[in-house]
Amino acid sequence: MKRYALRQLVQLAVVIVGISMLAFAILHVIGDPVTLLLPQNAGKEEYARYYKLLGLDQPVYVQYWKFASRAVQGDFGKSWYTDTPAFKLVIERMPPTLYLTFAGLGMALLISLPMGILAALKRHSLVDNLCTVFAVAGQAMPLFWLGIMLIIIFAVRLKMLPASGYGTWQHFLMPAFTLGAFLAPITMRLVRSGVIEVMSTDYIKTARAKGVAEWMVVAKHAFRNACIPVITVLGLQFGQLLGGAVVTETVFAWPGVATLTVDSIRNQDFPVVQCAVVLLALIIVAINFVVDMVVGYIDPRIRVGT
Amino acid sequence: MRRILAISFALLFVVGLGLVPPASAQTREETLIYSLQSDIDNWDPPNSVLREAIILGYHVFDHLAVRDLKTRKVGPNLALSWKPIDDTTWEVKLRQGVKFHDGTPFTAKDVKATFDRVLDPAKKMTARGNHAKIKTVEIVDDHTVRFKTDGPYPLFVERLTAQVMQSEKVIREKGHDFMQENPIGTGPYKLVKWSRKQEHLLVRNDDYWGAKPAFKYVKVRIIPEKATEIAELLSGGVDIIKAIPPDQMDVINKSGSARTATSPILRTAMLQLDQAARSGPNPFTDKRVRQAANLAVDTDAIIKHVLNGLGDRVATGINPMAFGWDANLKPYKQDLAQAKKLLAEAGFPNGVDIVFHEGPPIVEPAIQQTNDAIVADMAKAGFRVKRNFIGDNTVLVARIKDGKAGSMFNWSWGYYSVFDADAILHDVFKCGENYSYYCNPALDDLIFQGRSTLDAKKRAETYVKAQQLLFDDAAYLYKWGLRGVWGISNRVEYQAPADEVDRMFTVTPRKK
Repeated sequence: MKRYALRQLVQLAVVIVGISMLAFAILHVIGDPVTLLLPQNAGKEEYARYYKLLGLDQPVYVQYWKFASRAVQGDFGKSWYTDTPAFKLVIERMPPTLYLTFAGLGMALLISLPMGILAALKRHSLVDNLCTVFAVAGQAMPLFWLGIMLIIIFAVRLKMLPASGYGTWQHFLMPAFTLGAFLAPITMRLVRSGVIEVMSTDYIKTARAKGVAEWMVVAKHAFRNACIPVITVLGLQFGQLLGGAVVTETVFAWPGVATLTVDSIRNQDFPVVQCAVVLLALIIVAINFVVDMVVGYIDPRIRVGT
Repeated sequence: MRRILAISFALLFVVGLGLVPPASAQTREETLIYSLQSDIDNWDPPNSVLREAIILGYHVFDHLAVRDLKTRKVGPNLALSWKPIDDTTWEVKLRQGVKFHDGTPFTAKDVKATFDRVLDPAKKMTARGNHAKIKTVEIVDDHTVRFKTDGPYPLFVERLTAQVMQSEKVIREKGHDFMQENPIGTGPYKLVKWSRKQEHLLVRNDDYWGAKPAFKYVKVRIIPEKATEIAELLSGGVDIIKAIPPDQMDVINKSGSARTATSPILRTAMLQLDQAARSGPNPFTDKRVRQAANLAVDTDAIIKHVLNGLGDRVATGINPMAFGWDANLKPYKQDLAQAKKLLAEAGFPNGVDIVFHEGPPIVEPAIQQTNDAIVADMAKAGFRVKRNFIGDNTVLVARIKDGKAGSMFNWSWGYYSVFDADAILHDVFKCGENYSYYCNPALDDLIFQGRSTLDAKKRAETYVKAQQLLFDDAAYLYKWGLRGVWGISNRVEYQAPADEVDRMFTVTPRKK
């Protein structure tokens, strides 16, 4: 397990360096950043001064080295629009997005696990068909629309929950459900097919032959094995979930980093974009590392075989 | 391994709980909640052009003079009286016994420091253009100041409503950077906390010299999505919102929990065309192309059908409520044949490609729908419009200011709530100004003449000429004077303001 972890860590380091290079390149692929910063009628001296100020007069590898060494210390420069350190802006907005994505993940599991298992055990029944309908509807429903519908029902009509904002546990319910509904269908289908596959294997038959109670067979033997692809997919989907968070954050006026990132891209506020890309990528990489570890732990074949 | 995983998840959960902010301490009963779709860029009103900054500025700071919303006349505030000593000197008497939030008394020193800071070219303050006619501010005694102006300055008193009074001590000791996030004024509310792009919490200034606000707290929430904002109003999460799209008015009025109020406001909407080529060469440098654009659009139909009549047609950028408006000048009427002919004459017989930077619906209700209609009309005349949406108003404003807004963009001007033609002509039509994409020395002369005499009749005549020139030259694509639509919760009483400055300190609980 230790060797497996070490190997994963090395891969992780390579990925992080790659991401930092990509983030650095953002500034350079869009053309001349100084043109964006300076007014149309700026003179040559002003251009020269800005090149020097941004360090753009130096060779690319020097620029990258400076960028990377400053980034390690959390210094991504100042936002071009608010004159605030990009790191401060991104870090302030990071917790709400992380809470939201984790809550969304939790909500997705809460919906998809029981439904997936039930659909697998009652294959081709009415329950299974209803679950399929749910999956199709969940995938087809735009997040934006679902969010607004929830607000109309639970805030405007029933006055049970706050329509938007951030601060209390009640504020979490609708955004988390919206985001969860986005991830639940695919997870549910995976759980279903995983359980179906596992239920026909020899060790399940053995367990049943030993006289183990059916719920124990499902919970302990079948479910644990059916979990492996689910956990892997959840790790991969985490990035997707952050994408979904953009819409969810906008609808629910959630002060998160996802909207900040998209706004900054739209505004060509590159220090903020770079900082957000690096930090979000780090989180996704870290989560995938944890997923690899968990999968390796559950399934010894993976840590030995690779 | 199992244990480590369990402990890590437990730790993560506990840390997570710790980071969730605690529920607010104010009760809903004593809190008034107002929402905006876009946040301010700073808490230093003379350093911002945003309407939101002007509005929030009114709550924490005071002005020397303010407008009476019923009579629309300017009356005393921190200044008790003013009088011209000669053609270029105004003497202003100040109110005594006023204190800043930090306890420092308000005196003539603060007035001088405020204007000195705004007028210093090195500081590059946004409001500088508003007061450029003021040459110096002299302290006569603790509560009297004299303003020396560069020639006669007819807008002097109007402009006193557009400048917040800041503290000399703060300017000197704390400085510019501090002032961007820490407003210390003499106003009815004090800022408790600003969570950027999320909310502002204000608490009543119990030492306020004027009428005490009814609500102890004002929370200003930033809700970017209009549908969510309306849902918050209907569910009681927000008390006052503005810029309601006309098609949503019925929903609010029939809800039983809120109502709408409308008022013509001092704001004119336009599509600015880059006649001055600030963003580089473009087809709108040719007068015929600008005229074709104005002739292409059926503006009357848009006001009637898209805005449900909530707009006042204008022939130029001058608002019907502003001093100097020419009621006799008739606006452009749609004439597609003439528009096509003009385009062909300008060298575009097969149509012309245009980039259009669109803004968010922050101050202009239904901006997207009206843009759709305008673009569709322009297409009929041969304009192939490529639309580029800029969702963040602060960014659109920054681009416009830097001369990077492109050949055509959404813009509307609220006159800094100064009810005079000069308040738009100087800032939006004069050569070389930050928000002007038009340059015509003949117009500049008229603008100069208009602001250099105290004779109201002469000024009005000058502005008639200026409007004729702007109409003939089709400086921009003229749209309409806006009518504001507010959503007001049934738990409060509020009067929609014609100067577009929401004043939460005038809101009172509704009698049951």
